[in-house]
Amino acid sequence: MKKIAFSLLLLASYGSATAAPRIFVTNELGNTVSVIDSATNTVSATIPVGKRPRGIGVAPDGREIYVAISGDSVIAVIDAHSLKVVRTFSSGEDPETFAVHPNGNLYISNEENAKASVYDPKTGKLLAEIKVGIEPEGVAISPDGSRVIVTSESTNMLHVIAIPEHKIVANILVGARPRSASFSADGKTAYATSEISGEVKKINVASGKIIGHMPLADDKAKPKDIIPSRDGQRLFVAGGRANRVFVLDEKTLDIIHQIPVGKRVWGLALSRDGKQLYTTDGASDQVSVIDVSASKVTAVIPVGKSPWGIAICD
Amino acid sequence: MVVGCTAAPAAEIVLVFVGPTDSSAYKGARQGLEEAQAQGEFLGQHYTLTVQATSSPHPLQATAIIAATNEAGLYQLVTVNPGIAILNAELKDNKLRRTCRANLLHVLPSAEMEASALAQWRAANPQAKDVVARAWHPAFEKYAGIELNKRYQQAFNQPMDDTAWAAWAAVKLVSDMVAREQNADGTALLTALRDRLAFDGQKGVDLSFRRDGQLRQPILLVSGNKVVGEAPLHGAGESAGLDSLGRVGCEK
Repeated sequence: MKKIAFSLLLLASYGSATAAPRIFVTNELGNTVSVIDSATNTVSATIPVGKRPRGIGVAPDGREIYVAISGDSVIAVIDAHSLKVVRTFSSGEDPETFAVHPNGNLYISNEENAKASVYDPKTGKLLAEIKVGIEPEGVAISPDGSRVIVTSESTNMLHVIAIPEHKIVANILVGARPRSASFSADGKTAYATSEISGEVKKINVASGKIIGHMPLADDKAKPKDIIPSRDGQRLFVAGGRANRVFVLDEKTLDIIHQIPVGKRVWGLALSRDGKQLYTTDGASDQVSVIDVSASKVTAVIPVGKSPWGIAICD
Repeated sequence: MVVGCTAAPAAEIVLVFVGPTDSSAYKGARQGLEEAQAQGEFLGQHYTLTVQATSSPHPLQATAIIAATNEAGLYQLVTVNPGIAILNAELKDNKLRRTCRANLLHVLPSAEMEASALAQWRAANPQAKDVVARAWHPAFEKYAGIELNKRYQQAFNQPMDDTAWAAWAAVKLVSDMVAREQNADGTALLTALRDRLAFDGQKGVDLSFRRDGQLRQPILLVSGNKVVGEAPLHGAGESAGLDSLGRVGCEK
């Protein structure tokens, strides 16, 4: 009886569709996670998490938030309801970023030992390790969960890895220091940024071939996150030191808008309806909110020191 | 490019290190080899690094040569191995750069480049004292310098210095080009290095060779045991960029 009551309580608190989505931001130098209420665009909670939090992701059921604590070499698990760190587990040295698989597993890049590792966040168990190039960084999982792309920064490659076999099926050479990647909604196309060469590459996932390439005009760009719009027509690129978000036409990769935001913009997250784009502006200690249809910043939210990763929990 | 499990037999790339094996440069080359090999495994390329203590009057069987020799040794390598890139990781002399030999490439910055870096720093920071210009420093953290320093320290139990970085970079820029061009021919490699290099030396920008064979690169400014800045400084020599450091020119 007690159990049933507890489940109902959970349903009540997690299942409410009326609450506005919350945005979770890691503050790399603040050692905290800021929680933003998207209805008011204000910080509603600040959670201490450990040394140098960077990558962040949400469990498929929305009940837990995972944070890569680079300085402590652990993943911290935040309960989405209580907003407390409920457990941590060891994740291999210096975890930087990860992606959450639809089945709930985490695919983590371990920058220091040239590996991607797969963990079950429920148990903290290491399920698999995949040897990749030097300084692995960005991780992206296809929407159907059949492929993961890991970028290796010092080997200048995107490794396309089959799931569940965990075998590399393609190694794609790109510009210097590939940082971040993402998939189109149908999983057929992938996009990646290279920090030093300051460019965007478009990849046919099945063939492993580069099918498009666009240098960003600004040589200070050092782009990081890249994500497609919900309708798949555009790509958003965090311009790093260029202090703006580049909006590219998905087909031609032409730059169609440049939206000034704060300094050192690294992270991007898009609302479920695709109308709002949120950016972490690392050197301005703020999150910018962009109205996608107007290509304009509509709000600026002060957060902790050096915001880095960003994820939305609906 | 894609390499599946049915890839052709690995291409062999033979690198020769000319210099003493107890040098920092040799350790740097070994670190570079390790990383080149890691990349080559994914792309079907296999690297070897053989050592010759001193230069010799006979041509070497090599895809490229990493040199940590004296000036006479370096000139001998350049003369008896035409068409093969000789990558200087040891000597800073300006005069060497001016000779503009077709197959001589300098990975270590010249003394002039370091002097320019210092001058830019002093102009911007008139109070600064005891600052030195360096190609590399074990306390450099930006652009994953921290990662490279850690890898080297772990492998050799000593900090990565300028010539270790230069020899590491020499091997890595070769492997980067071989990977991109899918061509292990030494002469083709030399042309590609001169014309098309865009190398990440973990200094935050794409590096390439000047026409005098010098690798364009930022210079670190170090005070005590700390990296306090990088040249070119913002504002100083902005239009010339990396070429605001040192002089570029050939003398017959």
